[in-house]
Amino acid sequence: MSKSRTGVDDTPAAPASPGGWDTRSEEALAAPGPRTGSADGATRKRRGAADPVKALLHRHRELCERAVDPLEIAAGLEAHGVTDRAAARYRHRDVFSLAEEMYARVPRDGARTSSVVAPPEDRPVVESLPAGWALVALLPGIVCAAAVAGYELTAGRGRLTVLVAGALVIAVTLRFALRHGPLRARRRPVSGTRAWSGFLLLYALCGDGLLDGALRGGPDGPWPLDTAALLGLGLAFAPAAWCARLFAVRARRRLAQSRGLAEFAAGARPLLLAVVVLYAAALTGLLVLAGRFLGQQGPPLGAALLGVLLLLARLLTSYGFRRAPALVLGCACAVEGLAVAAAFAARLPGCGFLAVPVDAVGAGAVPVLACGAGAAVLLIRAARTLARASAHAGGTGEPR
Amino acid sequence: MRIALLTESGYPYVTGDARLWCDRLVRGLEQHEFKVFALSRSAEQEQQGWIELPPQVHRVRTAPLWSAADEPGGAAADGPGAGGRRAYGRRQRRRFVEHFGELAAAMCAGTASDGAADVADRFANALYGLAELARDEGGLATALRSETAVRALERACRAPGALRAAHEARVPDLLAVAALLEQALRPLSLDWYEDEEGGLGSVDLCHAASGGCAALPGLLAKHFFGVPLLVTEYGVQLRAHYLGGAGEGAGAPARALLAAFHGRLAAEVYRQATLITPGNTHARRWQEKCGAERGKLRTVYPGMAAGRFAEVGEAGESGEYLADPGTLVWVGRIEPAKDLVGLLHAFAEVRKEEPKSRLRIVGAPALGEAAGAYLAHCRALAAQLFPDEAEGVHAVGDNPVSFEEIGGPDVPELADAYAAGSVVVLSSVVEGFPISLVEAMFCGRATVSTDTGAVVEVIGGTGLVVPPRNPRALADACVALLRDPARRERLGAAARARALELFTVEQNVAAFHSIYLEIVARCPVRREVLDEDGDPLPFAHPAEIHLAGQWPSGTAQGTAQGADDAGPGALKGARGGPSWAESGRSAEAVGAREAAAAVVAEAVARAEGVPESAPPKAPAPAGPDGSRTPTGAEADAPEVEIEVAVDVAELFGVAAQASPGGEPVGAGVAGREGEA
Repeated sequence: MSKSRTGVDDTPAAPASPGGWDTRSEEALAAPGPRTGSADGATRKRRGAADPVKALLHRHRELCERAVDPLEIAAGLEAHGVTDRAAARYRHRDVFSLAEEMYARVPRDGARTSSVVAPPEDRPVVESLPAGWALVALLPGIVCAAAVAGYELTAGRGRLTVLVAGALVIAVTLRFALRHGPLRARRRPVSGTRAWSGFLLLYALCGDGLLDGALRGGPDGPWPLDTAALLGLGLAFAPAAWCARLFAVRARRRLAQSRGLAEFAAGARPLLLAVVVLYAAALTGLLVLAGRFLGQQGPPLGAALLGVLLLLARLLTSYGFRRAPALVLGCACAVEGLAVAAAFAARLPGCGFLAVPVDAVGAGAVPVLACGAGAAVLLIRAARTLARASAHAGGTGEPR
Repeated sequence: MRIALLTESGYPYVTGDARLWCDRLVRGLEQHEFKVFALSRSAEQEQQGWIELPPQVHRVRTAPLWSAADEPGGAAADGPGAGGRRAYGRRQRRRFVEHFGELAAAMCAGTASDGAADVADRFANALYGLAELARDEGGLATALRSETAVRALERACRAPGALRAAHEARVPDLLAVAALLEQALRPLSLDWYEDEEGGLGSVDLCHAASGGCAALPGLLAKHFFGVPLLVTEYGVQLRAHYLGGAGEGAGAPARALLAAFHGRLAAEVYRQATLITPGNTHARRWQEKCGAERGKLRTVYPGMAAGRFAEVGEAGESGEYLADPGTLVWVGRIEPAKDLVGLLHAFAEVRKEEPKSRLRIVGAPALGEAAGAYLAHCRALAAQLFPDEAEGVHAVGDNPVSFEEIGGPDVPELADAYAAGSVVVLSSVVEGFPISLVEAMFCGRATVSTDTGAVVEVIGGTGLVVPPRNPRALADACVALLRDPARRERLGAAARARALELFTVEQNVAAFHSIYLEIVARCPVRREVLDEDGDPLPFAHPAEIHLAGQWPSGTAQGTAQGADDAGPGALKGARGGPSWAESGRSAEAVGAREAAAAVVAEAVARAEGVPESAPPKAPAPAGPDGSRTPTGAEADAPEVEIEVAVDVAELFGVAAQASPGGEPVGAGVAGREGEA
């Protein structure tokens, strides 16, 4: 086009469209005369000042393409030393009107704006975790295994010492692993959450035996502990952390790809369900294996549901929803505690009816009911709250 | 008078932005009572503490803008980033959605829709609605971070007639906008808006030290209590927002929405401000572009301590500070925007004409790696262009270009740097308010500077100006000055006189003093007068004080404007008349004193709890006369510059070059100046 304009006849027809030219540039072409001094005529000839704004546009192309309104271009031009007097050379009253022309002349189509948004894979999707978190997640399992081994190999007073020490070490390790993994809470959980979780774990270890004994009029001496449940749950900490990470990463990716909130919610819910099912499967497998290994029989349903409940509670806490987990965990504790209390209270004269409901369902069904109901409630809650985009917005919060 | 100083990342903090200016202002106006309301930008800033505060600062209240201020412990609200005291109930949530949706819609509204004024009104109403909600419910942070807010944003973005960029907003954009809006609106959730002592309701005037978020508390004080707002901007906040790359990682839609928010906020601040004081013409132009009325703008130049340059300036070129007649001096921070390369090329031209001349580059210690590299590059270029030279065969040679630092053996003080040269050169390509140029003017040195930023406005005909990136023109101007000591002396003296008139701390403080008096006299806060039992006292203020009009008055010459709503229109009308020109400065002084007396009387009456009897206060004579204080005169920069230039010309016999700020000065500047 410019060739035909300068007179070299390579195309017979006049250019069909004015292209990047407007009336102002036509004027400039028609009268390139007096605004530049005669002293720098050589410069003018060399640069070809027909459309000075075009050259400026080319020089500040990145700024213009990035700008969201003319004022941004004006600010950028000023930062590059373009003043009102410089704008006069481009036949504009001030920098603002020059910026407006530049803003109007930058090609602005859908392709450009979408290309400005970096592809989501390039961005750091989720907050980074401390190095080696995936290995740290294995620690609780190892400690649990050691404690259970110690328990099985000792007897009498030594067994008691192992129990106390094991409980302490497991608590400390668990805390450490939680803080250094994807399950860390952005803010301190509501008070009581930890105590409830500890109680539920304790019940999983010794609650069934105690309740069984109480219903039969015992317990007479130390009752058998469900070490398989403890071992399985401890080993399942690692899959829990990995699943939480999986959920966070996939949710972030989906977030970056979705155009609307509804679209994101529709994608996030199945993701959450899939992650929970994956974890439940892994946990069940580990529980069954642990039962086989320790020679303990019986379906690990209560422990599996407890694991799911704890995962959901911790997941919600880590995303900042702290009240529902505390409430549900507290309720589950209350149900289990009440069951034991009722079993003992039924021995009082005239209170025999208290044990009837517990007797009816059986000792093994109490944690199944308590944890199952709790897990169901939290699952519904999580499906609602974790499908919100705003839940995944943060990620810069300090761990507590 | 009780003045609330509103700062953002500023005054009381050691690392604050405009702390020097604020400190001088507060120390200069010790007769007033200051309360500082400071917003901090980062944790480091808070840790580094405050500068020493003078006794007239009665109270400092700070609030962070940088992180979720969540209290440790249980009772905080549920949800991510919840920082508020409690979650909203259904009614509050509906109220929030209504106002926030309105705010978002005003942000997303394209320019072509309903009309700018309508959109501005919607934005303002939504902002005040949110502020009232925050005041009633004790905070907004939880709601602003909630899904409700994001959903409202999405709805506004998808609405017909919204900005194109908003239409393309994806979920990450919405989240980014919501988070940044929460940060920007954090001043709404503060507990500063109360009537009691220590709240913003108890002051007579809010002075925002910058626009943007700092002015937000002032806006609300105006909305809730009718406290007048004064906005001072040395750099326009909106421009800083664009240049600062806010929301850097975010996509174009998020940046567009944020830019719209800040633009509308700036417009609302300018609309509600009683007066706006830009620091230079550049800021003034931006403010006008963002919707500030011309009638409200008063340029108040930043003040600089002239004391340390007094000795050099008074001695002139010949006194004890003997300047080497062939020496050019450049002072500043060494960075690419200063175009030292161009300066070196210009100096090469100068050397062709004046082989004895020298160039001393006095640079502040450079920060960062890039600056160091640039300095090394400049040194290498200087060594290439100018070989070392010596007096004779047996002397040790030296380079005619020297790079020095303040505090070195040759230049122990800043003033010595300027004193060492006979001509001070400024070669910047990009420049804001050229501080080194003003310092050179204080020192009474002739200057050659490039036409960038506020240079022309500052120099105002008392030095030579050449186009940027033109070494030959720079060299010609330097040679012209080097060869003409008499002209150097004239220009230097004129420059010093101009600087002492316009850029001293005293003029800055005096300007703000009279602006304070003018504002308080023109639109004082109307407070309910209470009796002993705390019930409102009827008829404490007579109805007349709400009217603009003629007041019977003993001393004041002009019309009194006592009404709150004496808009700029009324003011302009009054000013258009010739009365100020006739009454002269003595009447202005009387007017200002009267206004001060009225303020004092009101303050005393309030302090004693005595209801003022009718007429409650001396009619404020801050009409046309009062408002035309010396500050007012200095405000219209071009006009004043002509006056000063003429005065100086008469004094020193220079043929005055009038009005450098007014007309476009192109490539011909040097030539025109050369004729002078």
